[in-house]
Amino acid sequence: MRRYHLVRRADAKLNRTLIYYAIGLLVSLTIGAILLWALGINPFQYYGKMLTIGLVGNKYGYKSIEGLLKVFVPLLITSLALSLSFKMRFWNIGGEGEFLIGAICASIVAFNSSGMPNFVTVVLMCLAAMISSGIIGVAIAALKVKFNTNETLMTLMLNYIMLYVIRYIGDTKADWNFFLREDSERPIFGSFPESAMMGGIPLGKFKLLWAVIIAVLLTAIVYIYLKYTKHGYEISVVGDSAATAKYAGMGVGKIVLRTMFISSALIGLAAALAVSSAGTISDTITNDVGWTGIIVAWLSKLSVPAVFVTAILISILQYGCQAAATQYPAIDVNFADLLQGIILFSVLVADFAANFRLIKKEDAKNA
Amino acid sequence: MLDVLTLFLFNIIVYNIPLLYGTTGEIMIEKSGSLNLGVEGTMAIGAVAGYLVGARCDNLFIACVVSFIASGLVGLLFSFLTVTLQANQNVTGLTITTFGVAFYYFVGNALSNSPEGWPKLSGTRLDAQSQAIHIPGLSDIPFIGKAFFSHGILVYAGILIAILMWLYFKKTVPGLKLRAIGENPAAADSLGVNVALYKYAHIIVGSGIMGLGGLYMGLNMGGTFEGSNCWINGYGWISIALVIFANWSPAKAILGTFLFGFFNTLRVQNAALAYAFPNALGWLTKIPSHFFSALPFIITLIVLITSSLTAKGKSGEPQAIGRNYYREDR
Amino acid sequence: MEYAIELKEISKSFGPVAANKNINLSLAKGEILALLGENGSGKTTLMNMLSGIYMPDSGSIFIDGKKVEINSPEDSGKLGIGMVHQHFKLVERFTALENIRIGMRGEGRFFHGAEVRKKIEETAAKFGFDIDLDKKVSNMAVSEKQTLEILKVLCYGARIIILDEPTAVLTVQEIEKLFNVLRKMKEEGHSIIIITHKLNEVMAISDRVAVLRHGDYIGTVVTKETDEKTLTELMVGRKITLNIDRPIIEKTHPLLEIRDLTIKNDEGATAIDHINFYIRGGEILGVAGIAGSGQKELCEAIAGLRKIEEGQMIHEGESIVGMSPKKILEHGVSMSFIPEDRLGMGLAPSLSITDNMILKNYNESKGLFVDRKSAREEAQKVIDKLEIITPSTETPVRRLSGGNVQKVLLGREIKSGPNVLITAYPVRGLDINSSYTIYNILNEEKKKGVGILFVGEDLDVMLSLCDKIMVICHGRLQGVVNSDHTTKEEIGLMMTGTLNIVNKDGKTDGIAKDSAFTDEEGKA
Repeated sequence: MRRYHLVRRADAKLNRTLIYYAIGLLVSLTIGAILLWALGINPFQYYGKMLTIGLVGNKYGYKSIEGLLKVFVPLLITSLALSLSFKMRFWNIGGEGEFLIGAICASIVAFNSSGMPNFVTVVLMCLAAMISSGIIGVAIAALKVKFNTNETLMTLMLNYIMLYVIRYIGDTKADWNFFLREDSERPIFGSFPESAMMGGIPLGKFKLLWAVIIAVLLTAIVYIYLKYTKHGYEISVVGDSAATAKYAGMGVGKIVLRTMFISSALIGLAAALAVSSAGTISDTITNDVGWTGIIVAWLSKLSVPAVFVTAILISILQYGCQAAATQYPAIDVNFADLLQGIILFSVLVADFAANFRLIKKEDAKNA
Repeated sequence: MLDVLTLFLFNIIVYNIPLLYGTTGEIMIEKSGSLNLGVEGTMAIGAVAGYLVGARCDNLFIACVVSFIASGLVGLLFSFLTVTLQANQNVTGLTITTFGVAFYYFVGNALSNSPEGWPKLSGTRLDAQSQAIHIPGLSDIPFIGKAFFSHGILVYAGILIAILMWLYFKKTVPGLKLRAIGENPAAADSLGVNVALYKYAHIIVGSGIMGLGGLYMGLNMGGTFEGSNCWINGYGWISIALVIFANWSPAKAILGTFLFGFFNTLRVQNAALAYAFPNALGWLTKIPSHFFSALPFIITLIVLITSSLTAKGKSGEPQAIGRNYYREDR
Repeated sequence: MEYAIELKEISKSFGPVAANKNINLSLAKGEILALLGENGSGKTTLMNMLSGIYMPDSGSIFIDGKKVEINSPEDSGKLGIGMVHQHFKLVERFTALENIRIGMRGEGRFFHGAEVRKKIEETAAKFGFDIDLDKKVSNMAVSEKQTLEILKVLCYGARIIILDEPTAVLTVQEIEKLFNVLRKMKEEGHSIIIITHKLNEVMAISDRVAVLRHGDYIGTVVTKETDEKTLTELMVGRKITLNIDRPIIEKTHPLLEIRDLTIKNDEGATAIDHINFYIRGGEILGVAGIAGSGQKELCEAIAGLRKIEEGQMIHEGESIVGMSPKKILEHGVSMSFIPEDRLGMGLAPSLSITDNMILKNYNESKGLFVDRKSAREEAQKVIDKLEIITPSTETPVRRLSGGNVQKVLLGREIKSGPNVLITAYPVRGLDINSSYTIYNILNEEKKKGVGILFVGEDLDVMLSLCDKIMVICHGRLQGVVNSDHTTKEEIGLMMTGTLNIVNKDGKTDGIAKDSAFTDEEGKA
């Protein structure tokens, strides 16, 4: 290797990057296929079932779509929120924790909302979730800005603390605990009253939940926010070069805090929509969206349109594996994570290949 | 009554050796300047690989070797991605965790559904009983002997590894060079230290060490494969927290893991203890177990915040942690 | 005569810029050679080739008479070359001993041996270093850190030592100590190259002096046979008359006045030391000085990006000390600084020209949205006016070639309509035509009544373009001269600290007669 020299490419052609990504994707699916074949499963059949998320030959096809959307909506919003944070090089890996805080606060409103109008309840749930998550996000950002505390490690701790908080709520039968079903001796999470359930637009048997519409609108709003508003401009400058931002007179700390509030609040919103759509809360309500969101944001290189597309694809991957698991008991739902991991590794390699070049050392001398 | 106490102390060790492995392995990696969030996945792969091969060969030594190699390979993947391909460390680590745990489930499910089923441990040389080593003299001491000196080799190995690592960092030249890389890779590079080679080597070895911890968990706390709960059960994440709590020192890690071990075991055995000592410890059952589970993270969060508020010099955090080093960027 | 180093016909270019052109240099064994040259003369590039950071495009290097190839810092170390850089390469958290230990080869491979400590102590004692090996670098003063760096290379067995501006951070006593060390090293048979600008030091310590100018090797003289005046002439060369306009216009009252300004740099040393100056509207005041004389810190302080230790800064009668960068901009003071890497300050590299253009005034548009439409028009105007070569207004700035980046920067600063414009190295690396475009722009601003502070490298340019020139040496004001009434040699002498005319002829340079300061406020 001594004769060769790695050098960053001067130009980054989008076409080349996309081609390398596509190759990476194909390689990943091939590796997945090999694993399936090793277990005696026909990869094409499996992939077919997975990619059509169980719609084919299914009387209740609309349920599949509903299920897919229930995975997609929180993932999309969380990924958007995380890209905001990552754009400023703030490594927020506390998506899980922030989601749980939002979910808990929204549920507090929900469980105490019988008799209130549905619209008001849902709005209050969203507000409660957004504010509570937002505050936590700002607190962590403040510590980073003021004392340079490591935000990655802090948010990591937060995730686990919140996980045990919700497990505690879910396991402790007590008078104060309105989260649990009253009619059961064992602690089980209760269902929300009607007032807190997410409504939707009926399209035949299929119900298009408002949550989906909100998520799509939010995507457009975030896109406009980042691309056209002053705030978005500030975020792009701070993320590119904090020194330049300071030179331009921007209050870098203020911008970081503000953006982190929005980012965490969005995650709270995702949680509120999730619990309202599910009609309950549980300790697995996150569906690992805090982790998957990071992968989606990264794969999309923090670009909003790419996040949208990637979130759809990953949702299909995840939900598809769930659907396929019914027919192939040997492959459990975690196969989606396995494939996801392989895809990400391939994309990282592809990304590198698109950005670096191997040249002979003699040529470097003359470069 | 004494039995309960003995069992309690015995279990502190059992429950916490895996943490020691995870923490020391991660310390080695973080000292080289890489924040590896893939501990959980690395331990899972080390566990399942070592377990399966070991069970098939009925040999504990082979189980350890395979486990070390398997998790070492995961470390190689992490190094390749972050050191050579300059990928973001957080994303890479998290993917390894998701991947590793998913791999564990994949293999587990595949085997459980196969005709031969999941290999059982009881009766083999790998089960908890057979692992236990009888040390002449020490094991026979009535109370303490049973608690501290009747463990398997992996327990003693774990403590030995921590001590050796402490010596390595404090007293040897390669250890010094590694620390330099974690603090200021540009300076180390300019002094002729091969930054990439050192990082690769230590990430691989650190990952191997973690894997052994995972293996221990599989052998002593698992034994069977459950489709819903990974053996590692969050110990990888606790290890990351403990690295901070131990201020990146392997010696302090020994103390740290046993402190948390104490709380962990308390969580599991509080009922038994309260029953055995109703007057003194009856109140134990009143504290929710979740509090004990959350304690490592709460304490670490507090330590993180307070150490950044006070004098920077005391923190053992390697200055260059989390950032990739590329010479041309000079 | 035996030579420790011989450089024959060494050339190195970076793109179109020729940093070193056919350099022939030699360092005799056991001698101290001073390397003299202005910024941009190519001395850093040359030394970097000896320390393995760059490789020459052509030419050969001979060490101890043998032809060698230096491909890496390690090769350089193995050949016995040790470089003490201006910016230290130390691990703050480690002790002195540990820092030295990292790079040592041989002995005590695995465990720390006591022999290593002994060897280091012996080396230190041999050269008279007074150093506490167990002291943490973070607790050391700047001069101690430098001592450590020198001890380090000696412990690695360096026979040839290169020191880059070693006295910049030292007090007078520390300099004397350093020189004693250098003399001892010479006695022990080491060969030394010292890069310095202080002519008095060159005269005091060196045996010979080699001079570089604009990438060319001018010559080597024996120190005993020369003097400071000759050296200055060699360094700056003869004056070249350039065809740069200098419109004479009526000047206004002082727009910006600086008194007693004292600033510290990042390492804690004094960068600017009690200087006074002022700028009138319609005047271009040049700032001449060797690189690292405090120009960067001065610009940053005036723009509000760096705290000052002492002193006053008044703009249009109001003190701007402590004001935020934004407020200073609103006040009418605009700064554009081109650092060596060109993309460091003032620009966001991944953003487009348009986005960089509105960096300072994006907030002016009403409402939530950024007005990119008019921004694009402005960007296009600047592109046309300054003849910037770019595929479009949306091209990310980092894809532009160096010169065009500078044009974007300057174009932006002028656009905000300041009445005091501070521009540092605006034509760094530009070709002739582009440079002239810049000079014309500056003259146009001057005609509008703007006061311009021009920090530059090329004395010929400054003598043509600027009305007055102030010279700084190591943070101190050496004098303010009128371009028509001075010579290049005089400026050169001031730049190297040999000449100081601040209080010549009864007047004090840097203090305006119609100053806004009253006698109590503005103590000279």
